[in-house]
Amino acid sequence: MLLNPKGLLRATLSAASMAALLAASQPAAAQSGDPIRKLTLISRAQAANPQQFQSAELIAQAWRELGLDVEVQGMPRPQQSDAVWYNRDTWDLTMWQMAGRPERSDPDELIYNLFHSSTRESGYNFVGYENLEYDEIAEQQRRTANRAERKVLIDRLQDIVNEDQVYAFLVHPLQTFAFDKTVWDASTTIVQPGLGIKNFWTFSNIAPLGDQKDMILNSSDELNAINPFYISGATDSWITELIWDRMMRIGPDGLAEPWAAKSVEWADDALSVTVTLRDGMMWHDGTPVTTDDVMFSFTAPIKYAPMYKPFVEGITNIEVLDAATVRFDLTEPNAAFETSTLAKVNLAPKHVWEPLLAALSEGESAESILEETRIGSGPFKFNRWASQQEVVLDANADHWAPPKMDRWILRIVLNVEATLGMLRSGELNFLSDYTGDPTLLIEAATADGDIDVVESVDVGFQYLAFNLRRPPFNDTAFRRALSAAINRELIRKAAYNGFAVNANSVVSPALSYWHKAGIADELPTGMDLAKTILADAGYVLEDGKLHYPAGTMETFDK
Amino acid sequence: MVYFLKRFTHMLFVLWTVATILFFMFRTMPGTPLAAFIDNTTTAEQQNALIRQFGLDKSLGEQYWLFLTNLMQGDLGQSFFFKKPVVEVVMEVFPNSVILTLTSLIIAYLFGIVAGAYLAWRRGSWVEGVGIPLVLTTRAAPEFWLGMVFLAIFSFHFGWLPAGGANSSGTDWSSGWARVTSLDYMSHLALPAITLAIYLQGLPLLLMRSNMLNVLQEEFITMARMKGLSTWAIVMRHAARNALLPVATAFALGIGGAVGGNVVVETVFSWPGIGRLLVNAVSASDYPLAQGAFLMITAVLVVMNFIADITYHLLDPRVRVAARG
Amino acid sequence: MQRADEIALPGRGARFIAGLSRWFSAATAIPRRDPFAFAGLLLYLIFILIAVFADNLITHDPREILFDANYDLARNLQPGGDHILGTTFSGRDIYSQLVMGTRGALVVGVTAAFCVVTIGTVIGLISGFFGGLTDTLLMRLADVALGVPFLPFVIVLAAFLDPSQWNVVFGIALLLWPQSARVIRAQVMSLRERAFIEAARVTGAGPWRILFVHIAPNVLSLSFLYASIAVGWAILTEASISFLGFGPSDSVTWGYMLQDAYASQALGRGQYYWFVPPGLCIIAVVVAGFFISRGYEEILFPKLKD
Repeated sequence: MLLNPKGLLRATLSAASMAALLAASQPAAAQSGDPIRKLTLISRAQAANPQQFQSAELIAQAWRELGLDVEVQGMPRPQQSDAVWYNRDTWDLTMWQMAGRPERSDPDELIYNLFHSSTRESGYNFVGYENLEYDEIAEQQRRTANRAERKVLIDRLQDIVNEDQVYAFLVHPLQTFAFDKTVWDASTTIVQPGLGIKNFWTFSNIAPLGDQKDMILNSSDELNAINPFYISGATDSWITELIWDRMMRIGPDGLAEPWAAKSVEWADDALSVTVTLRDGMMWHDGTPVTTDDVMFSFTAPIKYAPMYKPFVEGITNIEVLDAATVRFDLTEPNAAFETSTLAKVNLAPKHVWEPLLAALSEGESAESILEETRIGSGPFKFNRWASQQEVVLDANADHWAPPKMDRWILRIVLNVEATLGMLRSGELNFLSDYTGDPTLLIEAATADGDIDVVESVDVGFQYLAFNLRRPPFNDTAFRRALSAAINRELIRKAAYNGFAVNANSVVSPALSYWHKAGIADELPTGMDLAKTILADAGYVLEDGKLHYPAGTMETFDK
Repeated sequence: MVYFLKRFTHMLFVLWTVATILFFMFRTMPGTPLAAFIDNTTTAEQQNALIRQFGLDKSLGEQYWLFLTNLMQGDLGQSFFFKKPVVEVVMEVFPNSVILTLTSLIIAYLFGIVAGAYLAWRRGSWVEGVGIPLVLTTRAAPEFWLGMVFLAIFSFHFGWLPAGGANSSGTDWSSGWARVTSLDYMSHLALPAITLAIYLQGLPLLLMRSNMLNVLQEEFITMARMKGLSTWAIVMRHAARNALLPVATAFALGIGGAVGGNVVVETVFSWPGIGRLLVNAVSASDYPLAQGAFLMITAVLVVMNFIADITYHLLDPRVRVAARG
Repeated sequence: MQRADEIALPGRGARFIAGLSRWFSAATAIPRRDPFAFAGLLLYLIFILIAVFADNLITHDPREILFDANYDLARNLQPGGDHILGTTFSGRDIYSQLVMGTRGALVVGVTAAFCVVTIGTVIGLISGFFGGLTDTLLMRLADVALGVPFLPFVIVLAAFLDPSQWNVVFGIALLLWPQSARVIRAQVMSLRERAFIEAARVTGAGPWRILFVHIAPNVLSLSFLYASIAVGWAILTEASISFLGFGPSDSVTWGYMLQDAYASQALGRGQYYWFVPPGLCIIAVVVAGFFISRGYEEILFPKLKD
């Protein structure tokens, strides 16, 4: 809010050009509509997400060349979600991101939720996209059990999003992880596409080389909850999936594979699935895991776990067949059921949770319960959580797939510089959350000699969202032009230091089967092209300011 | 006694006013108070349920009354995120903040008192010429900047001290006392405490110096000098004792100010303290927690202001005389 | 009646001028007597000149993302050549940021100081002069302001209002006035019993006139003392708030630079030319304030108590 001479200058200039426009408006009126208003591009604040803010500034610089007046506005996250998510009619443009999660290894979650018109009002489709053809195909791919057939549909959906440029996709960032190879056997780490080496499989499989058998890893975020029915942020989901087992888990190949289930068998009509529990599984308190617990875990979310409710809604009935077997009946065939339900819902002990849920008053959910024993049946047992400091999990030696480490200790470290220092000093031996400059990490690893750095393409992606409810973004040509004006190569280098790959789809190239190969190159870009698209669509540049096509008035909600 | 009661009432008045201001401030801030709390996928009914659950559907007056009555019983409400009583969340990290504050203040005041006395004694010499600007400079340096430089030198470069946290990872302790008295805890405490102490020593040092200068001019010092006592003995035995009182008062005030002011240092050194808790709560829009942490910091500040007032009143003969006259 | 007015008018004016000149001679006496204060004033002068002529001194737009001849981001360049202090991780010119940051820091510092001292002086004057219920109410208000933890309050303000440096100014103005108000109040209490005030009262001057024409000039030097400290406070606070990530993203201050350097791991990369200069500038401005206030302190409070 400083007195900015440049801003003043700009204001005077645009006032001057407006005056000139008024003077010359008689002949021009026939060829152009209203001038396009000043556009606001919302981004996380520079301090909170420098890469995103830098991208936003680069984009704004480019768009100004098209004759648009673009202002970048940095905001803290709560204000951003208030401005965009809860007031869907009143924003113009925003930087946004989708984070990578194991269950996003199946394309369904993103491809359906982000663009299906049913989620327009209050769900993930906050940009307000509405396309009946898209809706139909998105529903159809859910019903298609055959992988190859489904792949064709998923490709088609990626094409539609590309044609319509619903988002201006930017990049899939590369994530960097590191570990001390004198502590951990490098050959026992497991890479999960899109998640890198920081995943369930590495944690349950990695083997210590010497006496240090504790894995000490880090999170740069403060932790808010550890609860099988609630995900409060990115970090706690790493913890919950270690403590609580699931019927299936997303394997290193991105497909769901049986885990707590011995077998998963589909009926021919794809309307029911029979799941058999593994023998001899125990809760951490020593009581056996039963089919009752399974039934409880999949029914409780309907009423008590709003975040998990969407994943169990497609189940019409759960039938306990015998002591180890359960059958799930579905409303309709769902190709993503294994990924988005069986591999997503945590198995919670009925004897611990049922009384707690019963004691809730109307309107409360399992999210508001603080259950401090955190009994699960997973390969790690909860030991303690010291607020703002660390979470300690002990290896569960009684698990059928016992981890080889002794303890899994997650340290909360807010200072990136310190994170790197701690990795080198041995205060950390597994770098699981690095938000800093990858070049520095690689340099440190080279200098140290004991550190291995592993990179991987994220399942998540960074993008710019247009508000399709408002002109001029309701015009596909306008969106295509704006998207064409973005130099993604520049953003990749200048904002992400080269540690990213260009994006043009919600399906990351990390999911090699589902990703439509080459889609990132199917979007022609360039400043001249952008100008041509705009001119062809009737937009007129007058005195350096872009106007709507003839006869178009600017009307929108303020 | 009358004075005591009067100050005590003032203290309660201040606490009540601040709590009230806080209450209304948090409820009139722009944006829905639940914006960040409600997950992006929750439906309207779920949101309404949450709003009911946190009593946000009641009128502002009712909410305020509830807030006050709960506050009287030491109930600061329920944290949005941690799902625990705010008091519990706050108390978990509060001791760390107190320990950090006290340690740094004690280092700062011990150093400040001795150095201040010394500077007064060497008045007009080159020591003063160098010392005073140096002291002022340390007080002017941003703490986080100093902290980062220390971290780079003592932790990254020499590897003498750990880079962050309050304990080594996964250490077990028989009791909280055993934990905070362990070498491990102290080695983690060292850097943040020294960083803070460097910032804090300026005040006691300058205060001590100027008091000493006053005391040194008084008659009884001249008398002592005439008795043939050595100068440093006079400084330490007679003058220092008389100059200490205002410094002691400043110490109490210092505790109050520093508990909330540590937030920057806590962030640099990943120290689990109440300042960081407040920042976390504020950025996550966890209103009850932010409010609770803020109130806790306020309480310390106000109580310490009160204690400073009382000690000053009780111990300073001049004030007592003035009050009687 | 008319005659009385005619006599009183030049009298009042003369007294006002006398008051001002007392203040002025005090203001100039210090630099002459105290080399520290002189150094402080000199530092201020230099920074003010830099802030005023910042537009002419910068070599680049401090917020512009710079590219090299190959259209690659001009990041992490060493000092020298085109970039006097090199460039940042995100490709901005550090020297130009430092120069522009001076303006940002001074605007925050001076505005905050002005607000806090104006409030403090006015309240101190009124409270000390009128006494009674007014005094009690204002002093209770001061207690409350002193009971609000300062940095946490500014954090809450900055987090809930739109990110801007004015949050810092606002927070300082709201919370830091009691220190100066209390001291000025004490000064006014002793002044109002003095002979020349009695004289003014006898000539029929109203209370407000006495307060602002006769008494106020005599406490202005005290206000100045507190202002020079408040400048430093504001700049330090702004830096802390920016460091914690609550600062605005669209203007350059020293605090912003330090935050950017910290988040971009300037230390790890050994970019001392990025990390050190803003810190030194902050120290210099704040110390300058201390130097000046210390000079005044010696003259105003031979027996410092507060």
